[in-house]
Amino acid sequence: MTRRRDTRTAYLLLAPSLFGISAFLVLPILVVAVLAMQRWDLIGPRTFVGFDNVVAVAADGRFARSLLITAVFVAIVIPAQTVLGLVAALLLNRGLRGSAAFRVLYVLPWICAPLALGVLWSWVLAPTDGALNALLGRRVEWLADPVLALPSVAAVTVWTNVGYVALFFSAGLRAIPDTVHEAAMLDGASPGQRFWRITLPLLRPTTFFVLVTQIIATFQVFDSVYALTPDGGPQGVTDVVAGRIYYEAFEQRAVGQAAVMALVLFVLLVAVTLVQQRWFARRTTYDLSA
Amino acid sequence: MRTAGTYLLLALGAVVTLAPFLLSLATAVKSPKQFASEPVLSSPDPPTLSNFAELFGERYSFVAPTVVTAQVVAVVLLGQLVFSVFAAYAFARLDFPGRDALFWVYLATLMVPQIVTIIPLYAAFADLGIRNTFWALVLPYVFGSPYGIFLLREYFRGIPGDLLDAAKLDGAGTLRTIWHVVVPVSRPILATLAIITVVTHWNNFLWPLVITSGRQWQVLTVATSALQSQYNSNWTIVMAATTIAVLPLMILFLAFQRHVVRSITITGFR
Amino acid sequence: MRLRPLVATAVAALALAACSPAAPDDAASGDGATTVTVRLWDEQVASAYDQSFDEFTRQNPDIRVQVNVVPWKDYFVRLPLDVAGGTVDDVYWINSSNFGALADGGKLIDVGKELADQQGSWVPAAVEQYSRSGTLWGVPALTDGRIAVYYNKAMVDAAGVDPGNLTWNPADPAADSFLPAARKLTRDSAGRTADQPGFDPGAITQFGFNAARDLQAIYYDFVGSNGGRIQAPDGTLAFTDPKTAEAFSYLVKLVNTDHVSPSAADTNDNPDFSRDQFLQGKMALFQSGTYNLKNVGDGATFEWGVAPLLAGPQGRVSVVNSVIAAGNADSPRRDAILKVLRWLGSEEGAAYVGEEGAALPAVTAAQQAYYDYWEGQGVDTKAFGDAGGTATIPAPFGPKFEAASTAFNPILNEVFAGRTPVAEGMQQAQDAGNAALR
Repeated sequence: MTRRRDTRTAYLLLAPSLFGISAFLVLPILVVAVLAMQRWDLIGPRTFVGFDNVVAVAADGRFARSLLITAVFVAIVIPAQTVLGLVAALLLNRGLRGSAAFRVLYVLPWICAPLALGVLWSWVLAPTDGALNALLGRRVEWLADPVLALPSVAAVTVWTNVGYVALFFSAGLRAIPDTVHEAAMLDGASPGQRFWRITLPLLRPTTFFVLVTQIIATFQVFDSVYALTPDGGPQGVTDVVAGRIYYEAFEQRAVGQAAVMALVLFVLLVAVTLVQQRWFARRTTYDLSA
Repeated sequence: MRTAGTYLLLALGAVVTLAPFLLSLATAVKSPKQFASEPVLSSPDPPTLSNFAELFGERYSFVAPTVVTAQVVAVVLLGQLVFSVFAAYAFARLDFPGRDALFWVYLATLMVPQIVTIIPLYAAFADLGIRNTFWALVLPYVFGSPYGIFLLREYFRGIPGDLLDAAKLDGAGTLRTIWHVVVPVSRPILATLAIITVVTHWNNFLWPLVITSGRQWQVLTVATSALQSQYNSNWTIVMAATTIAVLPLMILFLAFQRHVVRSITITGFR
Repeated sequence: MRLRPLVATAVAALALAACSPAAPDDAASGDGATTVTVRLWDEQVASAYDQSFDEFTRQNPDIRVQVNVVPWKDYFVRLPLDVAGGTVDDVYWINSSNFGALADGGKLIDVGKELADQQGSWVPAAVEQYSRSGTLWGVPALTDGRIAVYYNKAMVDAAGVDPGNLTWNPADPAADSFLPAARKLTRDSAGRTADQPGFDPGAITQFGFNAARDLQAIYYDFVGSNGGRIQAPDGTLAFTDPKTAEAFSYLVKLVNTDHVSPSAADTNDNPDFSRDQFLQGKMALFQSGTYNLKNVGDGATFEWGVAPLLAGPQGRVSVVNSVIAAGNADSPRRDAILKVLRWLGSEEGAAYVGEEGAALPAVTAAQQAYYDYWEGQGVDTKAFGDAGGTATIPAPFGPKFEAASTAFNPILNEVFAGRTPVAEGMQQAQDAGNAALR
């Protein structure tokens, strides 16, 4: 009896969000698959072209290249911001006076719009009249040199996220009871041993959360790259996947091909998430499906 | 000694974090003539608000984009809070067939990247003829967010059953229960969700960029980007624009920072 | 807490929220007047248009005109999207690279038919440039005149250079009077000029010239003056034409070897960089068009002059370009749009454009105001007209030129940056551009 009443109530309560998720998250995936088999330039009518778009995208080296560039980008950003975030958290956790203020300060970049930060850094890194070059007293073409462009953009992303990552590690560190550390010290463990054998393993749930969410987010980077290096950067070295899809859909106006790329990205991200989940599930007692 | 070392490193971090903001602010209050003729790092002499004035002049006013952004955030916030609370309550406290499977579907949608949905949504909105409208900016987000629902469900599960039973005994229906029992008890997590929602949508760029054109429904991020194109290497004005773009949230953040910091760390895991 | 006041507030908030603080681009004004929107990329002309349309509204009280400026950098990226989305303005400027596709797509009002009686009062070259399928597709708004060289008087006097008499030659250095002059006009922070030993290209404080990937002001003119061409008569690209490649080589050398021009890292993505350098007194010779005349007039704090374009082995060959104001064929306000277009094509309406020296109108009768204004300012504008030469190279044409330039610009960027050798770059640019033209 209660269950039936509950059911009606439940579905009534769920109706708006169910509509929202179906219409704006689930349905679009299906529509992308349909668009992937059509040719559309945003202006005229849509025509069915079967797998032509898939062939075109496969033949277009730039898409594969953008996947590679994004992977390299993630490979630079994630370790850097995770390690720096952890170091910051360790320092903040020492409980020194003013730590709270530092913690707040470090999060400031994360509050700002990535687009706005990109515009800001485009000045800092400008070859002529830029702040960094003025500080260094040298002229370095941070964003125009094909070798420096991607690391520079990656550095801006790391700068933006370190404080945010540090917050999570801070919480994780504080969740480790002091008694554990005290016991280890009584057993004669050195600070280094304590860190590697006790702290790090106990931080796994936090590390897992941080890595999973940040990897997914970093794969989708767009705003800051768009502001720092429009048009994919020198020799296209900062042509990340989200940028390529945007360019293909809204500047080249080859929507069908962009849809194929979007689908590939989606499948890729699902695979990455599942792999991560499996890898971590074996190594931690934390159960995400609880 | 360790203390000194720690402070040194923390201070270094603070400098690296703050320097770009302070330098850009210094540039924003310099007159273009001074910027062109003196070294880049010289201090503004005298500091001037002319760059900001130009941003509030007739042609490149940042007033409209700021107001539009505030409107969008307000509506999305309202919708997300209400509808996410509804859904989270259903998942957390009600028993019905398909509950766990449906919740898993909700969670699964967290994996859908924004860049994937904007193309079909653009096509759909084009067919419906609602490109470049206020509702175009708001609709995809206003019906609740899976992340918010996930967050709230965890919290709602922890509400003592006695409170809810007591309400039921008093004859309260579902909505009354939610409003009078669940919401007051959940203020911290609701504050968290509110903060995350405000930050996410104030800073949203890709969807507004794509679905709006012209100045009528331009949000702050899109206006900043347009200004960057327009004023190219006139850095004094561009930096004034970024200052205006980041200032509102920064002020809000510094005012509520205790809540924000606590909120961010409550999220997602136990 | 009661639910109802909260709900009421929420509803009110929602209602308020759906209103935009910005004036809607296409709303009808409350008093029955129609608003026609006009889009362009030039700030100076937009100011002139504001005044022109004030007078127009005085004469046509039921029509108001709103002028929107979209930056040049984004203008042709946004335009097709906005045309597609139905949010483009009622009247908008187009250039020759972009009008073909729109005309063929039926998006433009047939001006040749609707305003046939006015056609004779417009500059013939402009009418011809924008005619397609037998008719004219917009009202010629302005014509750019020839490219010329703005120069900083103090700098050229100090170096003993005569800016009106410079000839460049890629094959025969002895016949090249421009390069030695440009080197004398380039200084580093120690005051050394580029032709002196110890010159430090990393510390340049004054540039001699603005060689860059600038289509209208630089490379079309250099290519033409060398006897090369960018497009073959059938519209396909001809970058690999030996004379064309030779001109590009010369330009790239000016940037990367002779260091008389700013680095491509500064100029590739920023079309206004060199102009800003000139205005800040950091560049001696700035080759550009009438579209920058008012900017220079208003912004330069030093004495300056205008000299004819640099002469190449084939003389002074300039690209001459016009811009039209086209009408949006999909807009419901056709009658009002036609009235606005007629005004823009009339001597009275177009005069405002020239009166304050913003641009040279393409309405022949209105052009004198422009020349008079600059004469009054003490600027000799002869070099922009026939006195600066008569030979021309055709401006970009064809409905897909914009797509082609999107394809070859990144390649040319690499060529100017010195990372791709010129010969290879020319071939790649040609291939990429031609692929986009198909």
